[in-house]
Amino acid sequence: MPLIIKTEHVSKYYNRHKPDEVRALDDVSLTIAQGEALVLNGASGSGKTTLLSLIGCMARPTSGSVSIQDKEVSKLPERFLTDIRRQTFGFIFQQLNLIRNISVMENIQLPLYPSAIPMREMNRRAIEILTRLNILNKARMKVSALSGGEQQRVAIARALINQPQIIIADEPTAHLDSSLAAELLEILSELNRGGKTVVIATHDPYVSRHRLIDRIIRMRDGRIIGGSEP
Amino acid sequence: MTRLLKILEYGLSSLARRKFKNFSIIAIYSFTIAALASILLLTHSLKEIAVNVLADGPDIVVQRLTGGRHDLIPANYTQGIEQLAGVGRVTPRIWGYYYDSLYQTNYTMLGVQQDMPQLEMVEGRMVVADGECTVGQGVATAQNAEIGNELLLINSAGIGSTCEITGMFKARSNLWTNDLILFTKDDLQRFFATPAGLATDITVEVFNPKEIPVVAQKIRQLFPDTRPVTINEILHTYESVFNWRSGMMLTIFASSLIAFSILAWDKATGISGEEKQEIGILKAIGWDTGDILALKFSEGSVISVTAFLLGIFFAYIHVFLLGAPLLVPVLKGWSVLFPPLHLVPYVNMYQIFTLGFLTIVPYMASTVIPSWKSAITDPESIMRG
Ligand SMILES: Nc1ncnc2c1ncn2[C@@H]1O[C@H](COP(=O)(O)OP(=O)(O)OP(=O)(O)O)[C@@H](O)[C@H]1O
Ligand SMILES: [Mg+2]
Repeated sequence: MPLIIKTEHVSKYYNRHKPDEVRALDDVSLTIAQGEALVLNGASGSGKTTLLSLIGCMARPTSGSVSIQDKEVSKLPERFLTDIRRQTFGFIFQQLNLIRNISVMENIQLPLYPSAIPMREMNRRAIEILTRLNILNKARMKVSALSGGEQQRVAIARALINQPQIIIADEPTAHLDSSLAAELLEILSELNRGGKTVVIATHDPYVSRHRLIDRIIRMRDGRIIGGSEP
Repeated sequence: MTRLLKILEYGLSSLARRKFKNFSIIAIYSFTIAALASILLLTHSLKEIAVNVLADGPDIVVQRLTGGRHDLIPANYTQGIEQLAGVGRVTPRIWGYYYDSLYQTNYTMLGVQQDMPQLEMVEGRMVVADGECTVGQGVATAQNAEIGNELLLINSAGIGSTCEITGMFKARSNLWTNDLILFTKDDLQRFFATPAGLATDITVEVFNPKEIPVVAQKIRQLFPDTRPVTINEILHTYESVFNWRSGMMLTIFASSLIAFSILAWDKATGISGEEKQEIGILKAIGWDTGDILALKFSEGSVISVTAFLLGIFFAYIHVFLLGAPLLVPVLKGWSVLFPPLHLVPYVNMYQIFTLGFLTIVPYMASTVIPSWKSAITDPESIMRG
């Protein structure tokens, strides 16, 4: 399988050269193959979210390089990073980051507004995804009126609407009960079977042990301390 | 193109979603515009009216001064003035003011003469014979008079006389023609008890406008007891009155503008955490800085253009349909100069554009710049909520 993500000697500092300097990532080299389903595992503060944000082109490394589909992205101007985010990634955030006072429909279509895709096609895709996630009946409701599990599904739907190659999920089961967590992993498994790459940061053992997962990367203090099959 | 249209659509729907907030901004904004525009429309319109009135008037008005005060002038001075080079028609005028205690209004009375500005008749005809009079629309309205009615006038000696209304003319600039009553010269001379051979003043036509000051100078030399007032001097007087007023207005104008800027600045610095987060989310899921600017730009322009047009609309109604009731207390001095009946709607587009520029631009800047600032930062913080 070809590589889809590669980080080489990536470090990330916050508040560099200040008394409160934090080394969130320290010399991380990692390759992820296309179609792989991978878990980042580690204690709170170990750098999982930081690594996801570098992979997902949300932030830039202090040193080292990040390549997505064989393209070095860490030095690209902001504008290109935005394009890559839109075209390549679907994000499911730790804090869902939905816009609470607009409808479910609008929320999940948001990634498609800055594109040439016509409104009709946007509606078609949205209805398809909402049907699959079984929340079509909530399409016109405001996000703030939904239950936690429903909101989680809206966040998943939004991550899928642009048909991304890579799905990045940060603690996706944090707010879900076990049956909803199982449902989410089912959806991710299905996508993974369809060829999507899935990268999940979690310390939920249920996720790590799921049959979807091909590989677990263990992190501590900003370093990778080992990888293993589940 | 679809991209932009979709972003615009989203912008409109987010405006609708913050109805209350946006409605209050539009209300404050359009009120400010209405206040500023009222001042501009009013001052400009008054100025235009004054200039128009004067442009219709004679080139030189010769008054006689006795003891430094305006006095009646011998009508035969015209003969001397007519001899001067470059001088056209020279006419002695009989005119004055009349206070109608019954209706509590002031009228201007003028004896008909040849060099009067053309008055457009609404009804009937001009006065030709003694015992007749022709009135402006304002007078007709005030007296509730129709053609053929008798107008009762009481002179300063307390003696009443009547005249038959032969016609009504259109109040062209509304200022002096509106409250004007025309009589034959003889009638008016009798009414004011002006001694024969004397006139109120003399008007002089000068062929070449450049020679007006020279002619005025010569008249002065010829008749040292007179004061020739040129149209330029009158214009100057008006100008300086207006400039003084304008100065005061400008102060009000400027302070409103400052208040407005404070409002805008407050909004600028006060971009809410919620808005910031929304921008971050949009960036994270693939909106670029340009898309966010387009969004904020569309929101800002809908608000500011709507508010601006509403403001201008209110100002127009306030000033030209209602007679600027909210400004008149500020402009006490003016109401003496111009008993404001109905202002003629003169609108200076340049002023309106300036006002638009001075308000829309800061408002747009105050909405777009902070959004832009938060849009150019990496959306990383969104990852941690
Ligand atoms: N903006 C920031 N400024 C300073 N320090 C930061 C910033 N963001 C993250 N850090 C620090 O970087 C380190 C790694 O944070 P990160 O969020 O990647 O951890 P994590 O593994 O995702 O933790 P959790 O499981 O709690 O989500 C932490 O020590 C954190 O305090
Ligand atoms: Mg984290």
